[in-house]
Amino acid sequence: MTSIDVRNLTKEYGTRRAVDDLTFRVLPGRVTGFLGPNGAGKSTTMRLLLGLDRPTSGTATIGGRPYPTLDEPLRHVGALLDAQAAHGSRTGRDHLRALAASNRLPARRVEEVLEETGLASVARRRVKTYSLGMRQRLGIAAALLGDPEVVLLDEPSNGLDPEGIVWVRELVRRLAGEGRTVLVSSHLMNETASFADHLVVLGRGRLLTDMPMRDFIDARVQPRVRVRTTDDPALETLLAQRGLDAERHQDGHWTVHHARVDDIGRLASGAGLPLLELASEEGTLEQAYFDLTATETEFTARPQEARR
Amino acid sequence: MTFAPALHAEWIKIRTLRSLCGALLAVFVATTAFSALAGASDTSDPGLDPLFTALSGVIPGQIAAISFGAMAVASEFHGGALRVTLAATPRRGRWFAAKATAIAVPSLVVGLATALAALLAARAGLGGAADGLTADEQTRAVVGCGVYLMLMSLFAAGLAALLRSGVGTLSLLIPFILVVSFVIGDKTGTAADFLPDKAGQVVLYETHDGPLGPWTGLAVTALWSALALLAGGWSVRRRDA
Repeated sequence: MTSIDVRNLTKEYGTRRAVDDLTFRVLPGRVTGFLGPNGAGKSTTMRLLLGLDRPTSGTATIGGRPYPTLDEPLRHVGALLDAQAAHGSRTGRDHLRALAASNRLPARRVEEVLEETGLASVARRRVKTYSLGMRQRLGIAAALLGDPEVVLLDEPSNGLDPEGIVWVRELVRRLAGEGRTVLVSSHLMNETASFADHLVVLGRGRLLTDMPMRDFIDARVQPRVRVRTTDDPALETLLAQRGLDAERHQDGHWTVHHARVDDIGRLASGAGLPLLELASEEGTLEQAYFDLTATETEFTARPQEARR
Repeated sequence: MTFAPALHAEWIKIRTLRSLCGALLAVFVATTAFSALAGASDTSDPGLDPLFTALSGVIPGQIAAISFGAMAVASEFHGGALRVTLAATPRRGRWFAAKATAIAVPSLVVGLATALAALLAARAGLGGAADGLTADEQTRAVVGCGVYLMLMSLFAAGLAALLRSGVGTLSLLIPFILVVSFVIGDKTGTAADFLPDKAGQVVLYETHDGPLGPWTGLAVTALWSALALLAGGWSVRRRDA
């Protein structure tokens, strides 16, 4: 089992704490979404995991070992950190060939990942002619080169077209399905919601949440019911009698907070109220995230800095 | 992990960048062309050192060698390239040694070929003025010239790793070589004899009167290059990528 273990990890740049006493685990077989606003410390944590930056204190290990002690690390861990990393004057294929050579990976892996990431037709073109989306695919190709058990992707959907975003989603789901450990950072909620099983949320370098995505949403977002009727005043009276908090929207439907469809359905039917529409509104990751960030001093205490 | 895979990767990275291949070609073309020119024009001066005249093209040619070393390292300091490199080769000292070797070998090979071509091209123009040169002297100068070009590209490579910038390295070294050494000129017996370029160039002269001989001069240059590489390697090992 190859999990990522971050323990009491702290990184200071001068007086600024980019990562502040962070402790969490990333387990295999599921996609862990790594969330937080820009500057929350996601990329720094990934660099610390790869031994690229030295922690001020604490440890980060992969499969129980610090990354720099791994022999031929690309066979164990694949990472996409920055799509601009490949030299513009080199071809995509040569970029991957050099990486493969450094870890004694067979040359056929280069052709395989080029095929897998849809870059085979542009592999012999220089990277400077690539679009941002193609560079992103090249970075993902590099991450997959060694067929690693652990995959770290920092903002993989950046610059991808809609088709590419769906491709990344299916890719990370497949990697997790194969039992690999997958950590994917993002600041886009809807995107993360589409592939994550588990969430690790950072705010200003500190751990805010480490739990399954479904639990996170359920704990943060109260159930709501969407209802529409022909008789608005009757519905309003009915809901008010029960002490239910509801609001009417411009287009004529109501949102009942802290309620379930079963209750509202029975209530309306008991009162003989004709319903045109009755549905439960699923909480979204975005709602849960903003509920979390609204309560966290990390975001509210110093809004100037948080926005930066 | 052993050294060979890292070296293989660095060698692929050098030969797949056109600018680096171009710099090596420029070493050959510039040195040979300026030597041929010097051989054809400079034969009337009685105080002329025919051996240095024949290899004088290395003075402009070394700028290409310096650019080669600086650019080969500086390409790692663009847009997070070093992170990809060090994620693949996390033993940083080993990686930097591989990088330096991948710079040293082609600059030595090109340097030796360049020195031989420059000598032959210049002798065509020098005619009788070069007849006094012995085979030993010419062999020593050609080998020394090749080693000198390699050492200068390594010196630049070390500085580029320390400064994390190719432009920074070149804007430091090129004025240094063109101006400082030129201003100090032919005066010997000063500390300037021990500058990396002046010391190593002793090997290119038929006769020398400074404190350094041909091989001790090259050794001084080698010391400079070693210092630059150690400083660069220390910076790579110590700093966050």
